[in-house]
Amino acid sequence: MTDKAATNGEGERLLGELRLLAADVDPVPGEVTLFANAALDWRRMDAALAELLSDSLLEQESVAFARSGVTSTRAVTFRASDLVVDLEIHDADPGLALLGQLDPPAKAEVHVQRDDSSIVARAEADELGRFRLELPAGGRVRLLVRRESGPPVETSWISV
Amino acid sequence: MDPAESLRAAAAGDQTAWQAIVDRFSGLVWATARAHRLSRDDASDVAQTTWLRLVEHLDRIREPEKLGAWLATTARHESLRVIRHGSQEQPTNEPDLFEAPDDDTIDRLLLDRERDGLLWRAFARLSDRCKALLRLLLSDHEPSYEEVGAALGMPIGAIGPTRMRCLDTLRRSVDLQELSR
Repeated sequence: MTDKAATNGEGERLLGELRLLAADVDPVPGEVTLFANAALDWRRMDAALAELLSDSLLEQESVAFARSGVTSTRAVTFRASDLVVDLEIHDADPGLALLGQLDPPAKAEVHVQRDDSSIVARAEADELGRFRLELPAGGRVRLLVRRESGPPVETSWISV
Repeated sequence: MDPAESLRAAAAGDQTAWQAIVDRFSGLVWATARAHRLSRDDASDVAQTTWLRLVEHLDRIREPEKLGAWLATTARHESLRVIRHGSQEQPTNEPDLFEAPDDDTIDRLLLDRERDGLLWRAFARLSDRCKALLRLLLSDHEPSYEEVGAALGMPIGAIGPTRMRCLDTLRRSVDLQELSR
């Protein structure tokens, strides 16, 4: 065996030892495994997905805002095949205020669901497709939108 | 596991197929969040969101054979979101592979003071880049370079050479500690 191959082999052996150590020191938490296994129950049955299209939290500008201590509004957009949902998320002491706009505009019933299945807020969108929701901050939520016509729409999950 | 087959079955509600996907990639998703230096709480949040994202997308994964890379990319984006959102303070007494341990921590985890302590300290001394890369490679079901690249936002071509360099540094650090004992 060449020297190089010997050092490589030694490195790989250390990697194997470290893998055992990592399994002891930093295992996947049991609660995460339980949650992941149960997550299939969240799959859509009859609704269409409005996918997360943009989130200002993931864009560079908002980092500068966050660092400078200026409270900025978070803007989130979801898109389904026949519906766009725009959301502005404001801090509203206590909790959050969500201002929403459906495009194309339509009257609709909008629910906010948490990842324990509970509905934490509900509102009616007016004929211009506007709605306002108030909910506690924290956790993972999604919107359920039922229009007078068309299939119900579920948005992607977001952390608030 | 055939990812395409498992995804199809899971989309139809087959819990066994879903569980096979979770078993296969759970370590990769977790390691991706931890490689971003998130606390266990924040990493749990990232992992859970990542699994919900996959459930949302069960019927729209375009390249099932790249499912691992898709999950790693999703976990990376969620990790960056947590970092930018301002995560909670790092709890001080949770075991952290990236920081050199004290003897109490080693005893609490029922580890071997000598060998495990030496390895852990050598790992903690590596550069941040090396620690992030090796943390990924330490997940069970060692991830492909494509998955590692997706998890760390690293060009695939850089992974092999970086891996070799990091393992080399690790080996020398272990040798040195053994000498100085």
